[in-house]
Amino acid sequence: MQVLFNIPGPLREFTENRSAVRVEVETGANLLQALQVLFAAYPGLRDRVLTETGETRRHVNIFLANENVRYTGGLATAIPAGKEVSIVPAISGG
Amino acid sequence: MIGQTLDHYRIVEKIGEGGMGVVYRARDEVLNRDVALKLLLPGALEKVGGGHLLREAQTASSLSHPNICTIHQVGQSGNDFYVVMELIEGRSLSDSITATGLSMETVMRYGVQIADALAHAHDRGIVHRDLKGSNVMITAEGRVKVLDFGLATRLEREEISELTLSYDSLESKLVGTLPYMAPEVLRGQKGDHLSDVWALGVLLYEAAAGKLPFRGNTGFEVTAAILREPLSPLPSTVPHGLAAVIQHCLMKEREERYQRASELRAALEAVQGAVLESRRPAEETRGPRTVVLRGMEHLTMKNGDVLLLIGTNKGAFLMRTSRERTKWDVAGPYFHGQGVYAMAYDGRSGRHRLWVPANNVMWGTFLRSSDDFGRIWTNPAEASIRFPRETGASLKNVWQICLGRSEEPEKLYCGVEPAALFESCDEGESWSLVRGLYDHPHRPLWVPGNGGLVLHSIVPDPSNRDRMYVAVSAGGVYRTEDGGKTWQARNNGVRVVFMPEKYPEFGQCVHKIVLHESRPERLFLQNHWGLYRSDNRGDSWQDIARGVPSDFGFAMLIHPHDADCVYIVPVESDEFRCTPEGHLRVYRTRNAGGSWEALARGLPQKGAYETVLRDALSSDSLDPAGIYFGTRSGKIYGSRDEGKSWKKIVEGLPQILCVKAAVVHMDGAPSAKSKSKAAKKRKTSRPESVRRGKSR
Repeated sequence: MQVLFNIPGPLREFTENRSAVRVEVETGANLLQALQVLFAAYPGLRDRVLTETGETRRHVNIFLANENVRYTGGLATAIPAGKEVSIVPAISGG
Repeated sequence: MIGQTLDHYRIVEKIGEGGMGVVYRARDEVLNRDVALKLLLPGALEKVGGGHLLREAQTASSLSHPNICTIHQVGQSGNDFYVVMELIEGRSLSDSITATGLSMETVMRYGVQIADALAHAHDRGIVHRDLKGSNVMITAEGRVKVLDFGLATRLEREEISELTLSYDSLESKLVGTLPYMAPEVLRGQKGDHLSDVWALGVLLYEAAAGKLPFRGNTGFEVTAAILREPLSPLPSTVPHGLAAVIQHCLMKEREERYQRASELRAALEAVQGAVLESRRPAEETRGPRTVVLRGMEHLTMKNGDVLLLIGTNKGAFLMRTSRERTKWDVAGPYFHGQGVYAMAYDGRSGRHRLWVPANNVMWGTFLRSSDDFGRIWTNPAEASIRFPRETGASLKNVWQICLGRSEEPEKLYCGVEPAALFESCDEGESWSLVRGLYDHPHRPLWVPGNGGLVLHSIVPDPSNRDRMYVAVSAGGVYRTEDGGKTWQARNNGVRVVFMPEKYPEFGQCVHKIVLHESRPERLFLQNHWGLYRSDNRGDSWQDIARGVPSDFGFAMLIHPHDADCVYIVPVESDEFRCTPEGHLRVYRTRNAGGSWEALARGLPQKGAYETVLRDALSSDSLDPAGIYFGTRSGKIYGSRDEGKSWKKIVEGLPQILCVKAAVVHMDGAPSAKSKSKAAKKRKTSRPESVRRGKSR
């Protein structure tokens, strides 16, 4: 199945300026598996979305449709067919 | 035909021949241009009927797309039916494909253009029906032009049967067509946009692998393969993403293919970047991407100029001045919005390299460098400083970047948060965790200070390549005597105010340590409360806080040419981290801490509640030395007479976290070797400007 990732502006430098990227994953794949396919295609994304321990960075949120996966099972959340994934920087500043 | 004229086209020469007719170069006598003129064979006309072909060709002539060969005119002259097209100088894709296929980057580039051409035509209801390598031309500029849209003759059912049941070797005029035919077309259905998607899949496979996906010696074998056999695996050199796209085109069930050419194009574009990456040699794959900054005023450096690197909590700034140090140019902010806790200028071995670890609160910390004073910065795809997975740690920030000794121009060190030391032995290309320190039994017992648990001071001993000092807040000073394999706490005599035990072996909240290269056995230390000196390589420390308004502070600087001269900027207390009583004063000792004097001329002495952080005090290497510091309120002050008098150089910057000064030698920079010889000869004389990064 295909998964569409919405890419935030600051990371488009690493997706050839694409705001959305479609990747092909096995049906029933979870978010981490889909991310791994995305990172293989765009290596600049991995270390900006995840820390070296494989956790989502503190100020990065990943949404499956409108659900923040931090509250729905994290990277192990299964992706239902047809749902878009959005990588969105969190509210922060200072 | 040569020399004859059809309408106003004079036939010049024959340039090709296909199943449907012969192609000539012709001269358009009206518009005075060369065109391609395809004269259709009478058989082709008989098969489909001239009227039908004429209508299709007329429809196709409405297509206007950079990757579709333009049809200028469709005409009939007597019994001759002809099509006049854009003349394309180049070669066909089938002639371009070698036995090992094309480069992946080329496959992608051509694939995207063909898919775009198909998408354009399909949107207008025009199907190609005979897409194959010989119908795709590549111009000298590398642009794809798809030929013969809408001109394909429909094969009749009987003809297909004849072809597919043929046990003859593939020599008929359809040799170029059969391997590209979709299963449903072989079953006799009319080709449509989904059979075009299939044909492009075949073309991509052939271009990537150098051979057709469904092969056989006879028409029967090829047909059987297309209808029934699974796709032969692509060579392992074809990236996974591209292979997946090709497989998706070549699904035998129409419903399982891309349903639109535009989807196929998008999928190809999506893997294009990945293919570009994977094609590069290994060292380049890891190598930096670059960001070119245009539209910003950059510095233009001249030989002997003084360069100031300024890191703030919202980006980096660069400043320059001439030797006279009167007028400054400011450039930046670079990495706007990102925290820059450390910077370095590496002028060793003829380099002019700036280093900036840029900390983005969302996306993490990445080490960036520029070899042209900020016009172009690297932007590595992958983080170069990363904790090994088994440590369970992840990088928060880089607090110090320190050049190795001048005789080791390939060495660099980074002090990071959580507290650890990283080392590079290849000019900053790759980095590794110094395990000797990370695995020290004390490390799990270190506690974070106000700014976190950070390793902020790195001081290589210039006289001994195996000795180095680091300071951790709050862990204290550690020294290695064996190049980093083992480390010993060196805090004897340094007081701790925040624990019941006042003089523990380790756990001190050290803010900064410095040494002078001419007295490498002697160190100075600014503590979280306390000023100290050690005359025995840190084995023991003595209090030197006599005559200062407060022994609390962060910044500490050793004079570039005077080993007894140290600068500090005291703040009132840990609670009130501002200059005491609103006086902004730098304090200096010229007798190694025997006494201190206030340096205040030119600095505000009323209502100046300022803070100078640990790395925000620096000097150039000129004589007299220039001293510079930056405040948390965004002001830079400078002195060109070693601190006697000060001037505000710039204000209004974000919170200043670090300031580093260097003198830049633009031409004839001596090699590291000759520098080191010169340094040995001088011994106590002034150090090279390029050593500034670590001697402060």
